[in-house]
Amino acid sequence: MPETTSQEEASKAFRYPLRWRVMDALNAGLDRLWPARMMPYTGWALITPALLLVGLLVLGLFQMADSSLHTLDRATFLPSEGYTLENYQTVFENATYGRIIWRSVLAAVLTVFFTLLLALPYSYIMVRTSSSAVRKALLVVLFLPFFIGQVVRAYGLLIILGTTGVANNALGLVGIEPIRLLFNFPAVVFGLVQYMLPFAVLMLAPALTAIPRETETAAASLGANWFRTFRHVVIPMAKPGLIGAGLVVGTLALTDFAMPAMLGGGSQDFIANAIYDQFFRTADQGLGAALALLLVVLGSVFVGIVISIFGAGTLGMGGKK
Amino acid sequence: MRAWGGEWVEALKKGVSDRFTEMTGISVRHDLTEDNEIQPKLWAAVAQGRVPPIHVNWDTTTNATKSALRGVTEDLSDLSNLANTTDLAKPVGLDGYPIVNTYGYVYVLAYRPEAFPDGPPKSWRDLLDPKFKGRIALYNDGIGFHFPAQVAGGGSLDGIPDHMEPCWEFVREIKKQNPLLGEDPDFTTWFQNGEIDAACTISTNALAAKKNGVDLAWTVPAEGCKFDTDCLWVPKNLPENEAYWAKQYVNLALSQESQQIWLDGLGLPGVVPGLTPPPGLENDPSYPTKPEDFKHLIRISSAVQVQNESDWFAKFKEIMQG
Repeated sequence: MPETTSQEEASKAFRYPLRWRVMDALNAGLDRLWPARMMPYTGWALITPALLLVGLLVLGLFQMADSSLHTLDRATFLPSEGYTLENYQTVFENATYGRIIWRSVLAAVLTVFFTLLLALPYSYIMVRTSSSAVRKALLVVLFLPFFIGQVVRAYGLLIILGTTGVANNALGLVGIEPIRLLFNFPAVVFGLVQYMLPFAVLMLAPALTAIPRETETAAASLGANWFRTFRHVVIPMAKPGLIGAGLVVGTLALTDFAMPAMLGGGSQDFIANAIYDQFFRTADQGLGAALALLLVVLGSVFVGIVISIFGAGTLGMGGKK
Repeated sequence: MRAWGGEWVEALKKGVSDRFTEMTGISVRHDLTEDNEIQPKLWAAVAQGRVPPIHVNWDTTTNATKSALRGVTEDLSDLSNLANTTDLAKPVGLDGYPIVNTYGYVYVLAYRPEAFPDGPPKSWRDLLDPKFKGRIALYNDGIGFHFPAQVAGGGSLDGIPDHMEPCWEFVREIKKQNPLLGEDPDFTTWFQNGEIDAACTISTNALAAKKNGVDLAWTVPAEGCKFDTDCLWVPKNLPENEAYWAKQYVNLALSQESQQIWLDGLGLPGVVPGLTPPPGLENDPSYPTKPEDFKHLIRISSAVQVQNESDWFAKFKEIMQG
């Protein structure tokens, strides 16, 4: 009997915490808003905002497709009434656009190659180091420029690589005359690699973390040196991360505007710069739209080819490998 | 009020916007969106029946003519100060005043005197000297350069727009010099950083760089320089009262006092008679006022420029992107 009394006293003394009351109220509200019978549709409800956003994008693409089928009437600066493929014909017949498209693709491929070349060892050391200080330092070094933004970073490169910049001053110390490091194709690719490195490292690090250390130990126990282990164990197992990073870096580089505009000196345009020119310099929205759609197709084909050959990597979230 | 930044907006503020505020009590906010970028926004606003994002557009005459042809500009014929303007204020090839020119400017050959120890360059062909490889700059669409290039390439101005091969031939020669291609702010930066020795640019930019301490001079070479105008216009679809005050702003910009203050800041000749040239610019080739000053300046009608500009830009790009 004393035990029962003690339980009653405890029950009387117990105060329902405010936090629980709030949670109960929220639950009740949620029940009214989204009743239990709707539970099978919860996933769709969560994905709806994203679908709406993508839908807006697709709607925009349809409008651009429509716009690309009208030429500019230079007497009124209005789009022509009739539908025509003339804008696409202009793009395919004009050697300038061919060169610009080729330059964009080449730059994207080179940027992917050099970025992954630098990002892989960087990520590996960041993931495998036993020193937390080194890991933190690598993260800080990685994220600092990440926070600055592309345009400011490009301006930084203009200052560093300029004729009177730090790089040329350093060359001057060993008696080398100032050389033009900027305003050429290599400068644009350099800027892109510098810009893309954090993206690639962030994509690669989880893939490398997922590789158990024991696999490397096992390879070493079978006589493989570090290089062979890295070549035959780490890189194949990191393939999903490499593909994911390559896709992100490749598509971002292919569609980049700021680096070619700022580091290219006006003669290294990418497709995005050509699109800008048509929309904003010559007011020819139809031709700009045609170029924009071609860029979408080009990017989609690039991604499609990579995925069909190598799978989607980490972007596939464990699907096809 | 859409305006260009830097020295340009400062001059406008001092000469027109501040005086407008003083006169009407209406404060003026300057929108520094690029003229090329505001254009599609204005066109879209008018086409969709929305109120445009600005009240007055400060624009190049060629760009503004496109807007006038598209029918998105208000008629400015009833502005009282138009009576006191020169012919330069009247847009060529358009009926009435859908836009009003406010001053003229010259695309001069700006240069660092240090790089030309024998005196100012006498011809645009002087830029082909191998020592200037990678040391010259042009606008990235070639604006300002096409017409003198036509003459420097051995052609005549009568060949514009139908026979411009001499122009493109000279552009190809210049391309071998690896010129830098940019916009107004780039020229100032490049001169300041010692990246270039010469550029085809609007005299105002050269003047601004000089005021900022860059050792710079400018000249009009034997083949001539392009002379053009900028203008103001009011977009359609503004509420009636706002359109009225926008027009009053343009009217004030055409007054003698506003022109004097505004254009002193820009170092450019206005469209009102009797303006005093800013100190140092009297008899300067970038400040033409008398008929003989225009002898070496090339002026091509807006109508021809509007019709052909896209093709010229495309051809220039084709050569420079090669």
